[in-house]
Amino acid sequence: MKKVIEVKNLSKYYKELKAIDDLSFDVYKGEILGLLGPNGSGKSTTINCLLSLLNFQNGSIKIFGKEMKPDSYDLKRKIGVIFQEVAVFEELTVYENIDYFCGLYIKDKNMRKKYVEEVINLVEIKEFKKFYPKQLSGGLLRRLNIACGIAHKPELIFLDEPTVAVDPQSRNNILSGIKKLRDNSATIIYTTHYMEEAEILCDRIIILDKGKILAQGTSDELKKLANIEEKITVEVKDLSDKVLEDIKNIDEVDSVVLSQNLLVITYRKGKNNLENLIDYLKKNKVTYSKIFSERPTLNDVFLELTGKELRD
Amino acid sequence: MTVFKTFWKVIIKYKGTILLYTILLVVFGTLNMASNDTSTVFVDSKPNILIVNNDVYEGVTKNLIDYLQNNTNIVEVEDNEEARDDALFYRDVNYIIYINEGYRDDVLNGLNPVIDIKTTGDYQASLAQMILEKYIKVQNSYLADITDENELIAAINNNLEEESKIQINSTVDTATTSRLARYFNFASYSIMAAVIFIICLVLSSFHEKTVNKRIIISSMNYRKHNQLILASSFLYSVIVWILYVVLGVILFGDALFNLRGFIYILNTFVFTFCALTIAILISTLVKNKDTVSGIVNVVALGSAFLCGAFVPTELLPDTVLNIAHVLPAYWYINSNELLASIEAINFNTLQPIFINSLVIIGFAILFIVINNIILKKKQIVG
Repeated sequence: MKKVIEVKNLSKYYKELKAIDDLSFDVYKGEILGLLGPNGSGKSTTINCLLSLLNFQNGSIKIFGKEMKPDSYDLKRKIGVIFQEVAVFEELTVYENIDYFCGLYIKDKNMRKKYVEEVINLVEIKEFKKFYPKQLSGGLLRRLNIACGIAHKPELIFLDEPTVAVDPQSRNNILSGIKKLRDNSATIIYTTHYMEEAEILCDRIIILDKGKILAQGTSDELKKLANIEEKITVEVKDLSDKVLEDIKNIDEVDSVVLSQNLLVITYRKGKNNLENLIDYLKKNKVTYSKIFSERPTLNDVFLELTGKELRD
Repeated sequence: MTVFKTFWKVIIKYKGTILLYTILLVVFGTLNMASNDTSTVFVDSKPNILIVNNDVYEGVTKNLIDYLQNNTNIVEVEDNEEARDDALFYRDVNYIIYINEGYRDDVLNGLNPVIDIKTTGDYQASLAQMILEKYIKVQNSYLADITDENELIAAINNNLEEESKIQINSTVDTATTSRLARYFNFASYSIMAAVIFIICLVLSSFHEKTVNKRIIISSMNYRKHNQLILASSFLYSVIVWILYVVLGVILFGDALFNLRGFIYILNTFVFTFCALTIAILISTLVKNKDTVSGIVNVVALGSAFLCGAFVPTELLPDTVLNIAHVLPAYWYINSNELLASIEAINFNTLQPIFINSLVIIGFAILFIVINNIILKKKQIVG
């Protein structure tokens, strides 16, 4: 597959603080690469370095096979960026905002008009064309923000936590919009600290912490690193110490945690665990109101790798 | 064109503010047209004085007292020094004249008798001093030749009664030039507000951190983008200048179609350019629109009050005017006032106005240099 981005041994320091520590990774054409990590893990710093918004001390960055510099305008033409913060003019309407940012790339008036109309349809804000940003809800503002970043039809798109503080409906809308972009063969770098988003959207995921790559691969590959197969949660009323001890002693069980009325059991192997557990609970007359089984999540992977949760 | 068009779209959003400052100027200009000009009207003014006569009220002493009574307002105050000092302190009296015992004899003997005085030191006191000095000078000029007291008194009175007739031969319509000066003085406020406020608001939109980031990562050359913004700002300032000149033409008509009017217009252009540089500097320092609004009010209103845009400079205390020297509006208003007062326009009379313009240009250069230093420092930090 064709490499769109090549990052080699990238390091960035703020005085003595290492924001990025010897980062190396590639991004391939047409994929969605997720940069997953808690706040302060170096996701935004990495993106800012890739875009030449920040200087870095060591390493190299190549985009479309060329070295990325502040004056690489030919490369910038192919790149679209959507920042976490909404970046629009309060004084301009939705249409005027998109037209202005698209105009920074596309000089031809007719082509620009076509592109602006297309992106307005893509993010589904057609009926708000003449609205000013102040008149839009948080979710619509995010969609406008996205439209401003991708109106010029970039081949490579950076999305820096675009769904932070967005209502579920707008979030779904944004995520489906991103999938459409991928379907149109755009390459996407997606930073988030929402593991569910990364799982749904990304073809590959890089987990970052303290500026370092902890792991990278597909969602399934990463989950294998968690060393667990299944997680069963039971909402119980009363549980004797004997029952708890019995469950701990089951061969496949990795850990058992009882917190208030919630019993969480993780299994190293995952065959008939739920069925066996229900039988056991019935046999021992343990009353429960809920019981469900889950596959391990990326949060479990992060927990396994760092000993802390992603959203800490 | 995208940048240029967007700049104007943003400007248009603030048309209400521009209109407000323009209406203020029109209202002031119209009121100014209706007001009476006092620049060449001389008002008879008499100072309040107190005479403490310790000599006889006869002969030359009586003549001096009579002369002072005719030319000043004599104020009656209780006959003690404390009351006199109080009257002086509360400005009931501007000047106290003490005629010492033996004054009459000393004058007739050709001696130069001492007259003690106490003064508030103000304009009215100076006037009283001039009246007294005039009498003493006339009296002294006759002392060598006339020894008879009655003859001396007659000669002094004859001399003092001769009136000087002053005729002002002027080809300048001083009333109109004064009104023009006042119009352009007030325009300094409108220009500062309309140029600084609007440009700061527009530039703060373009310089807003996230918007600016988006511009930097775009395929448009960032330097070129900024040059377009600056060119648009300059064009906007020129339009404001033209608008206020046209308003001046509507209000004053032909009065602006001569060399004097041309210099008013040119002086206003230099000032408008300086206001633009202030706007650029403020927008570099401050990004928040609410803060911009506060700062612009302080800069434009403060400058207008300190430099005499609203109140004639003659009425401002010296301390205020000394402070005002550090503001470009002071030099602009000073030029307007000078233009209103000069009779003949030539290189010599225009020289102080040229110097003022150079000072304003100097301020503009200083603001540009400071702005560049700040921008460079910001780049280094970034």
